Amino acid sequence: MTTTQNTARVGLFFLLGVALVWVAYATLSDGKALKSRGYNLVAGFDNLKELKQGDDVRMAGVKIGSVQETRLAGRRAEAVLRIDPTVKISSDALAMIGSAGLLGTNYIAIDLGSAGVPALAPGAEIRTTASADLNTIMTQLGELGGKLEGALGSMSEVLKGKDGQPGIFQRLDALLANNSAKVDATMTSLQQVTDKLNRGEGTLGKLINDPKLHDELLAAASDLKAATADARTIMTSAQGIVERVKSGQGSLGTLIYDEQAGKDLKAIAANLKDVSDKLAKGEGTLGKLINDDSLFREAQGTLRKADRALDGMGDSGPITAVGVVAGALF
Amino acid sequence: MKQLIAILEGIGGTLRLLVRAVAFAPTLPRQLPRFMEQCYQIGYTTLPIVSILSFFIGGVLALQAGYSMESFGAKEFIGSLVGLSMARELGPMMVAILLAGRVGSAIAAELASMKVYQEVDALVTMNIPPERILVLPRLAAVIVMMPVLTIIANLVGWFGGAIVAHSVDFIALEPEKYFETLRRFTKFEDVANGLIKAEVFGFVVVLICCSIGLNTRGGPREIGAAVTKAVVVSLILILVLDYFLTQSLL
Amino acid sequence: METCHQTRNPFSDAESPAVGVTLEHVSKNFGSLMVLKDISLTVEPGEIFVLMGPSGSGKSVLLKHIVGLELPTSGKVTVAGHDASDPATRGKVRMALVFQAGALFNSLSVYDNLALYLREHRIATEAGIREKVMRALQILSLENTARKSPSDLSGGMRKRVAIARALVQEPQLMLYDEPTSELDPVMSATISEIIATLKDEYRVTSFVVSHDRSLALSIANRVGILMGGRLLTVAPPAELRDPQDPVIADFLNPHIDVKNPRFKQLES
Repeated sequence: MTTTQNTARVGLFFLLGVALVWVAYATLSDGKALKSRGYNLVAGFDNLKELKQGDDVRMAGVKIGSVQETRLAGRRAEAVLRIDPTVKISSDALAMIGSAGLLGTNYIAIDLGSAGVPALAPGAEIRTTASADLNTIMTQLGELGGKLEGALGSMSEVLKGKDGQPGIFQRLDALLANNSAKVDATMTSLQQVTDKLNRGEGTLGKLINDPKLHDELLAAASDLKAATADARTIMTSAQGIVERVKSGQGSLGTLIYDEQAGKDLKAIAANLKDVSDKLAKGEGTLGKLINDDSLFREAQGTLRKADRALDGMGDSGPITAVGVVAGALF
Repeated sequence: MKQLIAILEGIGGTLRLLVRAVAFAPTLPRQLPRFMEQCYQIGYTTLPIVSILSFFIGGVLALQAGYSMESFGAKEFIGSLVGLSMARELGPMMVAILLAGRVGSAIAAELASMKVYQEVDALVTMNIPPERILVLPRLAAVIVMMPVLTIIANLVGWFGGAIVAHSVDFIALEPEKYFETLRRFTKFEDVANGLIKAEVFGFVVVLICCSIGLNTRGGPREIGAAVTKAVVVSLILILVLDYFLTQSLL
Repeated sequence: METCHQTRNPFSDAESPAVGVTLEHVSKNFGSLMVLKDISLTVEPGEIFVLMGPSGSGKSVLLKHIVGLELPTSGKVTVAGHDASDPATRGKVRMALVFQAGALFNSLSVYDNLALYLREHRIATEAGIREKVMRALQILSLENTARKSPSDLSGGMRKRVAIARALVQEPQLMLYDEPTSELDPVMSATISEIIATLKDEYRVTSFVVSHDRSLALSIANRVGILMGGRLLTVAPPAELRDPQDPVIADFLNPHIDVKNPRFKQLES
């Protein structure tokens, strides 16, 4: 055990220590050892919640950077995001604060955005959306209930009548009684018209506005009976339509408040029938909304899923409400 | 009253010793062999016990954390618990305590016997200040060696925790998960924090032990008393300093 | 005695002024215990001064005052005109103290013990240090112990190593604390010869604390007798061969009386 040997050991030992400190530094500060490569983006929120410096920034679940700084800027809170230089973020990408884990570790979730949109430049501000926490979800559910109640109330007014005014059904009865002869006479013509309609000849607008078909329309009284039943249900399917009916606007309104317009009824009924068929088959956006209950299934999942699903419901609240009612009536 | 004066004398004498030793710092390059010898004694020979102890401290931490966290399904946070507590607290603290027990006692014994057998007086008459050749190399060596010992203690402790968390049946935590949470919650600042603490502890322990050793008076019996006193004072100071350092570094 | 005012270096033959020691009304208390009581004493440059006295009379304490290891409670000690209590004095005057137990550095070999002073003060190159150390060891016939550890040596050998270590410092003032205790008569004689040679050849001032009567009477220029912290007398050795003071006479020439032992005298 000579002195030189000891000196060599001490030297080796010291170098080992320096190396270990460096390793610890490099691994624990995520390569910040190299003066944090990457570029910055600014994300403004009303509320940063539990977000803090060093939290992850993830795009579609993949970590692409970290929160470098959180600060107050005027009337909002800003998070400065340090993004991996190899990652390009579309300028229409949306950032929101997500939470992972039981203990509420937060992260910034950025969606993929659209393809072909120019990437955000360093220092730019990214679009953000507020993510719901439990409080907002509850508030939105309450609002939704209120809207549903209102929609159902006005619907019943229309159907039953209000303040001595006759309701839709009384008016329809009167209309049919007064025109029963004419209705019988137009039966045949109306049959032809409906055939044509089914074959898709001409546009509905033309058909309805053509004065030559007036008599034939009146003759199709028996069809009208069936159609009124359809009309009744379809009319109730949209609050907006009902409102317009009440105020005498649009073709349905005219039909009810203007006897002369009775002839339009059949055409509208057929049109509406078509729409409701599509709805029932689940075609179109509204139909999907009514028939696809996956949003509700998601809502029963994790807290995070519920958050997202209810967020979606919040946006389409009135439509969904009407959809639910319409589904029940059909 | 007498004891209070003795304590104040001890503090004053220690500070004077520090000032004198630091004043001789320019002579350090000439004392390289002595410095190396102290590095060897303080650092290299202390490594085995530091490794063994920190391995088991990390293991016990993982075991205790696993036992209590397993019941509410947070066992993947064992990594962060072991990582943070080793880096911030137990690593530096344990190395300092081992240093007091192993190196501090040896320093106190050596200097006390040099004092009792008049070797220190001989140095003084030879116009070689004891602070220069006895205290300065030790202080310099502990400054250089303490971070090395502490970082090794941290890493060994972390691996000890990982091994225990993985191999104990009721925890059975994958090392990948362990190190994932460890990395997520332990920042280099925490490690650096611990290294600063260790540096202060080590410096104070060596200074105190030198001071007590050099202030021994009387016969050979006093050597044992000096060692006991040096270790006890060192341990108390480590714990007291730990509180204030933790508070100021938070 | 004009020549006495220059010391010659035993190794380099360089010359430097001889130094004297002065104590003026020095008193020393350890707590309430008075160890030295108003001592005034002058050691001339280049002389051998032997301080004698019974154990516990304060001889070693007085010696430590001269090198500044102890500071006087009152009074003043000067070495070559410099205050002994000032640490800087040790840098101005080369003093070497031979401790009673040797005070060798146990962690160093005999060779390194001798070389430490030269290395720390960067007095010579490693080759020069080697030459000086080996010469000092030769003087005390210790050549074979150079690589040994002090703990492997007998008490007498340790004392010789301590003297060799003091020699290496090329002192202007040599202080010895009981240099001949623990030594066999031949070695004692050798030590006495060394002290005398240092004085005669190199004119080193020597201050010897001892209760070795033959050493004192053979080599000393002057002898002081310290008892109970008081300096009773300072006189040339010739005067002490037949002292008048009964206390000093009893100390220097104790009469062993088996029929009427001292411990029984004390009882009565």
